[in-house]
Amino acid sequence: MDADSDVALDILITNVVCVFRTRCHLNLRKIALEGANVIYKRDVGKVLMKLRKPRITATIWSSGKIICTGATSEEEAKFGARRLARSLQKLGFQVTFSKAIRAADTQGFIFVIFTDFKVVNVLAVCNMPFEIRLPEFTKNNRPHASYEPELHPAVCYRIKSLRATLQIFSTGSITVTGPNVKAVATAVEQVYPFVFESRKEIL
Amino acid sequence: MTGRVCRGCGGTDIELDAARGDAVCTGCGSVLEDNIIVSEVQFVENSGGGSSAVGQFVSLDGAGKTPTLGGGFHVNLGKESRAQTLQNGRRQIHHLGNQLQLNQHCLDTAFNFFKMAVSKHLTRGRKMAHVIAACLYLVCRTEGTPHMLLDLSDLLQVNVYVLGKTFLLLARELCINAPAIDPCLYIPRFAHLLEFGDKNHEVSMTALRLLQRMKRDWMHTGRRPSGLCGAALLVAARMHDFRRTVKEVISVVKVCESTLRKRLTEFEDTPTSQLTVDEFMKVDLEEECDPPSYTAGQRKLRMKQLEQVLSKQLEEVEGEISSYQDAIEIELENSRPKAKGALASLTKDGSVEDTTSSLFGEEDAEDEELEAAASHLNKDFYQELLGGGIPGSSEAAGGPEGGGRPPALESLLGPLPTAASLGISDSIRECISLQSRDPNASGDGELDLSGIDDLEIDRYILNEAEARVKAELWMRENAEYLREQREKEARIAKERELGIYKEHKPKKSCKRREPIQASTAGEAIEKMLEQKKISSKINYSVLRDLDSKGGGGPHKEDARPQERAGARKLSRRKTPASRSGADPVASVGKRLRPMVSTQPANKKVAVGEALLPSPPSLGAEPVRPTAVVVESGPVSYHPEEDADEEEPDEEDGEPCVSALQMMGGDDYGCDGDDDDGY
Repeated sequence: MDADSDVALDILITNVVCVFRTRCHLNLRKIALEGANVIYKRDVGKVLMKLRKPRITATIWSSGKIICTGATSEEEAKFGARRLARSLQKLGFQVTFSKAIRAADTQGFIFVIFTDFKVVNVLAVCNMPFEIRLPEFTKNNRPHASYEPELHPAVCYRIKSLRATLQIFSTGSITVTGPNVKAVATAVEQVYPFVFESRKEIL
Repeated sequence: MTGRVCRGCGGTDIELDAARGDAVCTGCGSVLEDNIIVSEVQFVENSGGGSSAVGQFVSLDGAGKTPTLGGGFHVNLGKESRAQTLQNGRRQIHHLGNQLQLNQHCLDTAFNFFKMAVSKHLTRGRKMAHVIAACLYLVCRTEGTPHMLLDLSDLLQVNVYVLGKTFLLLARELCINAPAIDPCLYIPRFAHLLEFGDKNHEVSMTALRLLQRMKRDWMHTGRRPSGLCGAALLVAARMHDFRRTVKEVISVVKVCESTLRKRLTEFEDTPTSQLTVDEFMKVDLEEECDPPSYTAGQRKLRMKQLEQVLSKQLEEVEGEISSYQDAIEIELENSRPKAKGALASLTKDGSVEDTTSSLFGEEDAEDEELEAAASHLNKDFYQELLGGGIPGSSEAAGGPEGGGRPPALESLLGPLPTAASLGISDSIRECISLQSRDPNASGDGELDLSGIDDLEIDRYILNEAEARVKAELWMRENAEYLREQREKEARIAKERELGIYKEHKPKKSCKRREPIQASTAGEAIEKMLEQKKISSKINYSVLRDLDSKGGGGPHKEDARPQERAGARKLSRRKTPASRSGADPVASVGKRLRPMVSTQPANKKVAVGEALLPSPPSLGAEPVRPTAVVVESGPVSYHPEEDADEEEPDEEDGEPCVSALQMMGGDDYGCDGDDDDGY
């Protein structure tokens, strides 16, 4: 049962969630009126803006905090976030500056503050070439794995050190969520030997 | 009782009632305190003629302040919060458990789980009912009783997933590994509910065998155990000639009809289903099946492959057909008599195209594909029309008709959509144009503009007219919400006029207090007490002393009780604090209420502890307010008065001295007069 290296599994990242801040108050009404690709949810006080190029959806609050979801890689997330800030800038939001405190720029060059960019969550999917016996797996991995067939068909395996959660289905497909792409990859590597133990042999 | 001043009238005539434990001013009648601690036992006569002891139960480790306002008519009177919670929990557990018919052992275990949960603060922020249900379900799982989470959620009318979440959290926090659910556990229960009469046992055994077979065939992973049970029982019933319909089974088993059918079909796919009843009982097939999801996946793959092959074939066929079509058309044309005159120009392909473009494609001729498609369509249509028209009419008649047709065609079809009018010309352009990406953003908050196509972003911004239209649409969409807001505001305005508007302040979130900066523990305690505003009666000098003598204190404590046997003064709340050096701040905060203890022994020990400011210190600092004096014991608010008081007290020989008195606090705001109802 050597199940260590040479695992050429394809880990497909399906979603990357990131947050960033523009350090200025945003007028949601104005964005809603003038943006072509926005949905204004007044009851909860936020605006959804969807971009086509990196296909992302951003939730914008009036405090200037923005959450950006739907990207398929970290770079794409950052790129999309920047485009978003640029479009906000074009809508006419002048912002004061964050770390370098400058007055309103004389050159007419407007800086949009793009601070605290952080990738918050990464969701990836991975497929094992074998099926997995879930009750056996749960028994062998007691504290980390929890399996409630009445509630959810998959085993929920949590790795505290990486802050990652894996959902392991009996078909062999695994859904991983973690704080960044590296953690996700590490999590899959960590769990692979255990999953390999409880696999179902193809007759 | 001398010396004490009534705060209401200022009179000094205070009557002390030992039996009730009150101190009342005879001038104005205000009760100065109650719950005086006495060291004697008294009895009162009940209405029935029996006698009962006077007194209240006070918890040993908790604060003893009893809320005596209005009389003690609650069972929970005299208990502190933790005990109340546990008692409440126990009651609810028993209530729920009896509905589930759990035995006493299970209920006790559940209560233990609950106690653990409370001590780990897992009940905070959660409904008590959820926590109780989770504890009960945990017991059910560990004991292996056939209770489902669904049953609990039925009883409580709570969403089963919410309960499940609480349950998972509880199991994780308490580090309890609930064994996995075996569907076989549910069989006897469901069989009983389905009323098989005498053959109950046999049917159950058959169902069990079926279930085991299903397990071998990989049908049970990731599925609700109740669904499998239902399917097994249904088949078993039929095997023993019982007619149980699907509806009956699902009402017992609590799954959906489609789930049951699905399980049955899956079972049908396994080779076991081909056996007869007798064979099944005797023989156990060796081979295992693949799980149904696997076979489903395989089937999907196969379907996809088939589709691909089919589509390829289809394309070939289509190609053939179109070529035949063209050939036929050419033949037709050739065989048709040539049109003369006005029609001739129309039948020519080039002119048709021109007509098309001139009629329809005036504005934008950019998208050639669409044009070509349009012209092709038109050409076919024309061919049909003209082809149909010509044989059936003479040239002359056909002429004007034919001439009349193209305009009619236009009116028939209407202007064909071009890319521009569709508004997708922009997006087509966008798709064609390439974007370059720049991975690095400049730091320090500046936005790196390279790689961002401004043009595209400009497109996202609507112009004036569009903005207005959009605003209109949005207003219409959210009309209801806006209306509600307006009504709410109108309501508030009206109420404000009437003066009854209650300001609903948003819940003030707990202010994070700044951590106390203090150089010594004593200082820290002082500051904390100031912040918490618990008592103004604390003598800070004693506090300081406590800290300074902290090291020597604990040792001297033991010596104290003997020495201070005479001193009956009670200790202050601080003493537990000083004892538990680990957590002085917190415990002082909590226990700054008089610790009412009826046990003299404790008193003495406590007193002993209070005497941390030991005699040496006292001797060294006679200047210090005498409250610190060992003999007087606890700290007092009015040191001068107490200094005088304490002496007479000791000499007095009166057994009962109120704790409050000893502490010297007159302002003790204990308004409750009715104390123990016992």
